[in-house]
Amino acid sequence: MTFLLIITLNFMIPRLMPGDPFTFLSAEEEGQVFISYSQEQIDKYKAYYGLDKPLPVQYGNYLVNLCRGDIGYSIYYNVSVLEMIGKRLLWTVGIVLGAILISTAAGTVMGCFSAWYRDSLLDKLLYFLMITISEIPAFLVGILLLFILAGQFGWFPLFGGMSSFAQYDTSLERAKDILHHAFLPVLTLSLTRVGGFYLLSRNSMLEVLAKDYMRTARAKGLARVRIIFRHALKNALLPVITRVFLSLGAMFGGAVLVENVFSYPGLGRLMREAVMLRDYVLIQGIFLFVAILVLTMNLLADTVYKKLDPRVNYYDG
Amino acid sequence: MKKSVLKVENLSVHYKTDSDQVLAVESVSFSLEEGSCLGIIGESGSGKTSAAMAIMGLLSKKAEISGQVCYYDRELDGLSEQEWQQYRWKKIAMVFQNGLDVLNPVLTVQEQIYECLRRHTKLSKQEAKDRVAGLLEMTGLDPDWGKNYPHQLSGGMRQRVLIAMALSCDPEVLLVDEPTSALDAVAKDEIITLLAKLNKERRLAMLVVSHEIPVIMKLTSKVAVMYAGHIVEEGITKDVIKNPQHPYTRGLLYSAPSLNPYRDLWGIPGETGVSKKEQCCFYGRCNQKLELCRTKAPLLEYVWVERKVACNQGGIVTLLQGQGICKNYEFKGETVKACANCEIKIRSGEIVALIGESGSGKTTLASILAGISLADEGEVRFLGDRVQGNNFTSRIKGIQMVFQDPFSAVNEHLTVGQAVREPLDILRLGSKEERRMAVLKALQDVQLPRDELFLDRRCHRLSGGQRQRVAIARSLVMEPKLLIADEISSMLDSSTQANVLRLLKGLQNSLGFSMLYVTHDLALARKIADRVYVMQKGRIIEHGTIADVFSSPKEKYTCKLVQMMI
Repeated sequence: MTFLLIITLNFMIPRLMPGDPFTFLSAEEEGQVFISYSQEQIDKYKAYYGLDKPLPVQYGNYLVNLCRGDIGYSIYYNVSVLEMIGKRLLWTVGIVLGAILISTAAGTVMGCFSAWYRDSLLDKLLYFLMITISEIPAFLVGILLLFILAGQFGWFPLFGGMSSFAQYDTSLERAKDILHHAFLPVLTLSLTRVGGFYLLSRNSMLEVLAKDYMRTARAKGLARVRIIFRHALKNALLPVITRVFLSLGAMFGGAVLVENVFSYPGLGRLMREAVMLRDYVLIQGIFLFVAILVLTMNLLADTVYKKLDPRVNYYDG
Repeated sequence: MKKSVLKVENLSVHYKTDSDQVLAVESVSFSLEEGSCLGIIGESGSGKTSAAMAIMGLLSKKAEISGQVCYYDRELDGLSEQEWQQYRWKKIAMVFQNGLDVLNPVLTVQEQIYECLRRHTKLSKQEAKDRVAGLLEMTGLDPDWGKNYPHQLSGGMRQRVLIAMALSCDPEVLLVDEPTSALDAVAKDEIITLLAKLNKERRLAMLVVSHEIPVIMKLTSKVAVMYAGHIVEEGITKDVIKNPQHPYTRGLLYSAPSLNPYRDLWGIPGETGVSKKEQCCFYGRCNQKLELCRTKAPLLEYVWVERKVACNQGGIVTLLQGQGICKNYEFKGETVKACANCEIKIRSGEIVALIGESGSGKTTLASILAGISLADEGEVRFLGDRVQGNNFTSRIKGIQMVFQDPFSAVNEHLTVGQAVREPLDILRLGSKEERRMAVLKALQDVQLPRDELFLDRRCHRLSGGQRQRVAIARSLVMEPKLLIADEISSMLDSSTQANVLRLLKGLQNSLGFSMLYVTHDLALARKIADRVYVMQKGRIIEHGTIADVFSSPKEKYTCKLVQMMI
């Protein structure tokens, strides 16, 4: 049901935007080849892509094609949408996963420290820092980093996923180049996310530390390592893990901004291009893909949570 | 003398909050010997659990602890967390109060027992696992349950797990915190039996913290009663429960349904307030408080062998004592013995029922006790002073009497206001305004209207129930310490009777006076009184607590009375 709703929105939203793929091509970005169509050509293309038909018919066709697993060809690029997404996907997944890993790990570790040393100077400092960072919007962080680290100091490349026209002697060098390019986008994404994870794990840890079973563990004279990791962290991590999965969707949203700031060749940049070009098919494809991804992650979050928390299964019967 | 395994001396715990300090435990001392079992009893928030936690060194940093805790000769307070590890669980273990959160929800039960063994013993993995199964079995739990998570177990099962966990490393001292709260009767009994068995077999030194008197009674040999962080009474469990000496202990026992099968339940009036350091901790709720108690905190002192009480007056005071009272009437040349060598004792804050059939001499005895009639022999003392004539009935905070017949007890031509004010008028106590206020307060206490219209109403226009209330109000203006009520409800219908008696009991509970309730109605006596004296032919043949006398009467006559009632 949710899925059908998503598909419908997915279909409607691009078509609600002003303009269409053919008249809008004139409002191109700089540097792109300028193409304009005659009315005749437009009619021909519209008929070709089925855009001359009334909306309900278009919708029906879209659904039928979807069921066959066909998400169509890009209007502008004339390439299979699936193929395009596939090409760009790895880049986005790379920076998103990197950012998730870094922000979760850093956030959790700092959160636990903060909770363990509650009200110490360290805690207060971290708390202030994290709140501040998490309040700055992603694109601003990105631009700042770009200006300072890449522009001013030149430590990192200004754009792209890897150096253009470069020849690599070894795959290690290639990997190094990719990492070098990915560093700033990943850092930006991580910075915008780390505050949330920090706060969550700090809270969660504080809650757990106040629980009776922590006192029981202490009374039993267990080793400190065991108390922290086996007794406290196992409980405190539960909400963090759920959040990791749930935040993947938001992370993709963030990636759209970040990729555009850094001209990173990922899905987010492709989406922007598609929107600019009013490439309905491509927009639909990307939206659909992201929607499926988010839904899958939610499902996964539930599954993983059930695995980790014995209480959940219990209440399910 | 056995060597004490655990010795606690002058233990105090204060919780620091942002604005002030909250006293949780104050100068508590006790010791536990091998194989002994000490109970700590008290209301919620009396500091019982805090004391146990302090012994284990488990209180948070916000708690300030002073005093000494010694395990044999080793001082435990001031140990670092690391040094503590040698004692925790291995030497001193604790059965925590049962709660869903007391066991870790994401670890299986057996893991939580297993980890103690691995930490403190040199058992191999397999040995430790076998030991866990053995422990669970010993507490009466199928070892298979060990694979479950805490939330999958019932309350009773969790309690067993907690006990198995506490015993895993063979500790010498076991602290048990509320072992049976929130368990049903069957589980409760099983857990108590299990703990008693362990105490006996393993020669554990046990400290049982509970607010449930039956638990303390069944498990412990000695008991300490805690109130607002202080130990107010200490002694041998059986004796303390049978004959409490501190007003708080008595109040606690009176609130326990299991000890009072017949009596209406009345809690201790008031709430645990924050008491000032220099005053008695029970000052706010005590029924026999003196001005002295506001300025002097009593120490826990011996009142007799094996009994300590912290009270400025040495415990519950005896208010009225009649010794060897004899009274004969001459009737047509024959001597009728109305009272023969009667001994009676009324303590502060209790209701004593005097029961017996008509003509057994109850009323005579009551009027002698009040000083209205003169005894032929014997004497009556009120707070140590001899009762003669009206010397105690004619003063504030003395003795007052309410009579059987409300119609003749109050001059029916007086208005309500006059009737209630009369004692004050006669004795010229207070100003006119003060008398008026006293009358209004007394009328409010007995739940009569306070408006002018009612005050000016003549008594002959009142109903029986109203008149009896007026009579009670008239006694209350004198703020009596002892109220003698002679068959006050026998002329009232049962609904009015119930109202008047509940009212009287409520007043007694909140104002804290003592009452001698003279009646032939056993069912009534059983409902309201704490102790009972049975009279037959001028003699007091039996006396004791309501529960004792009514469930196991010793005298034939009492048996007959009790049987007749049923």
